[in-house]
Amino acid sequence: MSVVDSPATRRPRDPGGPQQNRVPGHVAPRRRKRNSSVVPWLLALPALVFIAALLGYPLVRMLVLSFQNMRLRELISGRTPPWVGFDQYTRALTDEVFWAVVGRTVAFTAVSVLISVVAGLGIALLMRRVARGVRLFMVVAMMFVWALPQLVAAQIFRWMTDSDFGVVNYLIDKLPGVDYQNHSWFVNPWQGWSVITTLVVWAGIPFLAITLNAGLTQVPKELLEAATVDGATPWQSLRNIVLPILKPLLMIVTTLSVIWNFGLFTQAWVLRDGHPEPQFQTLATYSYTQAFGQARYSLGSAIAVITVLLMLGVMIFYIRQMFRIGEVD
Amino acid sequence: MVAPAVTPAAPLKRRRKAKADDGVITVGRSRTGTVLANTAGVVFSVLMLFPVYWVLNTAFKPADEVLALEPGFWPSNPTFDNFISAFKAPLFLQDMLNGVVITLFAVAGALVVGFLGALAIARFSFYGRKAIILVVLVVQLVPFLALLIPLFLMLQNVNLGFTTLNLTDSLIGVSITYLVLILPYTVWTLRGFISGIPRELDEAAMIDGCTRAQVFWRIILPLTGPGLVATSVYGFIQAWNEFIIINTLNSPDKQNLMAWLLQNQTTRGTAWGPLMAGAIITSIPVVVFFLIIQRNIATGLTAGAVKG
Repeated sequence: MSVVDSPATRRPRDPGGPQQNRVPGHVAPRRRKRNSSVVPWLLALPALVFIAALLGYPLVRMLVLSFQNMRLRELISGRTPPWVGFDQYTRALTDEVFWAVVGRTVAFTAVSVLISVVAGLGIALLMRRVARGVRLFMVVAMMFVWALPQLVAAQIFRWMTDSDFGVVNYLIDKLPGVDYQNHSWFVNPWQGWSVITTLVVWAGIPFLAITLNAGLTQVPKELLEAATVDGATPWQSLRNIVLPILKPLLMIVTTLSVIWNFGLFTQAWVLRDGHPEPQFQTLATYSYTQAFGQARYSLGSAIAVITVLLMLGVMIFYIRQMFRIGEVD
Repeated sequence: MVAPAVTPAAPLKRRRKAKADDGVITVGRSRTGTVLANTAGVVFSVLMLFPVYWVLNTAFKPADEVLALEPGFWPSNPTFDNFISAFKAPLFLQDMLNGVVITLFAVAGALVVGFLGALAIARFSFYGRKAIILVVLVVQLVPFLALLIPLFLMLQNVNLGFTTLNLTDSLIGVSITYLVLILPYTVWTLRGFISGIPRELDEAAMIDGCTRAQVFWRIILPLTGPGLVATSVYGFIQAWNEFIIINTLNSPDKQNLMAWLLQNQTTRGTAWGPLMAGAIITSIPVVVFFLIIQRNIATGLTAGAVKG
């Protein structure tokens, strides 16, 4: 089994293999299966019930809730909250703070995904170039980073950037002419966000680099060697040979990175001690604090609906790619 | 066109070696470039590992060294005190046990339910198959965080017809939520493993007189074994790592270790040493399991769209 299940790394035998080996004149599968079309539904039923109950129903409930006004009073008494139509949406969409949060989330996603994917691709290419021992070292290092739970990784960064005892301040302070003693990284939002971005990129590189490296091993080396002999620069080889072959895989990992980083919660939450200041709110933390911090459950729901809608474009793209893979088998 | 670097006529030994490092290009590579690349690779690895090292370094330092103004890059008097005080901290063991119970329940449930669903998608072509695939793919991208509000309201008041239950602040509510959290991934990954088993095996067995159920028990289930292990380990990691849902739904004595780590930070200043020790204890199962299945994990991620 290849490391990555995607068109770029799919071995050629996968799609057409079984059919070619099929004995001539074997039972036509279609007729047999149509007769037993109750069985697959029965098999899939438990999964569908669970998904409907804990994902489908809450999804509908979230939509309904966003058109109501659920506050703490309704939550405790259990009365049906009053219907308010599009009020929650109007409230969110006319709020400057909300738009600042949207803008910040989009900007963070764009910057962090760009850095992660470029760095990931760079590391993947580097892995093809280094000696075997160094490559192993790189893989081991990345595996450990990858394996760390997000929450733990965030705690480590919180400790390293601690204003009094953080090792980051200590090291920067060592630079000649720089005073970073007791420097607080989260006073200036630009600095704070650069810490969050570093954390996200650091934690995201292993997945990207190892996946892309797996994709790179599928690029025929004869092609690259021929190109080099014919006088192509490394840059030309990358642009005209490697990237086109890697494109489907790049698309998938980029889409995934966008989905993950757009929903940034843990890192901002932990680094800001569970109380993100306005300048460190993302759509995810904002919706959460509105709902559970301010007991504005309906406003929180409306923001969550808007978040899902904003992500929909990227999601559709991802699902189309995956659907194709699912259809091939 | 240039001939491939190694021709079939090459000695067997050389051919094997060349096969082992496939994809490594030999043409047009300068010595300086290689040295530079190797240096960059080592520097990169060290930078990546530094935070991991720093958490270990801190966890083994005595309290006064942790809060030294000049951080030591090596614990000069290594101690297990931080680990001991983490274990002795209120609710640590309780929350650890909760986490194990919740995770095991969720993984076992998702495996059974998911396997049946995967079987349907992988082995039958029926009306509605595409719709089920679509559902599985779509739901794994729905951010659970967005559903937290309705989920909270729903679990608070579960109507079973004959009785109503309050499943917030219970291990059952979170377990079921986690089950569904890892279910789409489980279905999708197991689908891949099952469709990897040649259908000819099924057909041969059926010609030999096996019923469909026997085919399932004797052929598909044993051959999916490694896939089941990999999938369950990945599910374990997912469920073990989650903390937002449980932190919102449950009170401190019904938490898992992740949420414990989070609360430990907010209540009373931060005891960095024990916190880092707690972080290590919490990560151990994840890191170990991750390293076991790391070969399959990229498959799961590109297929499953779930991040730890």
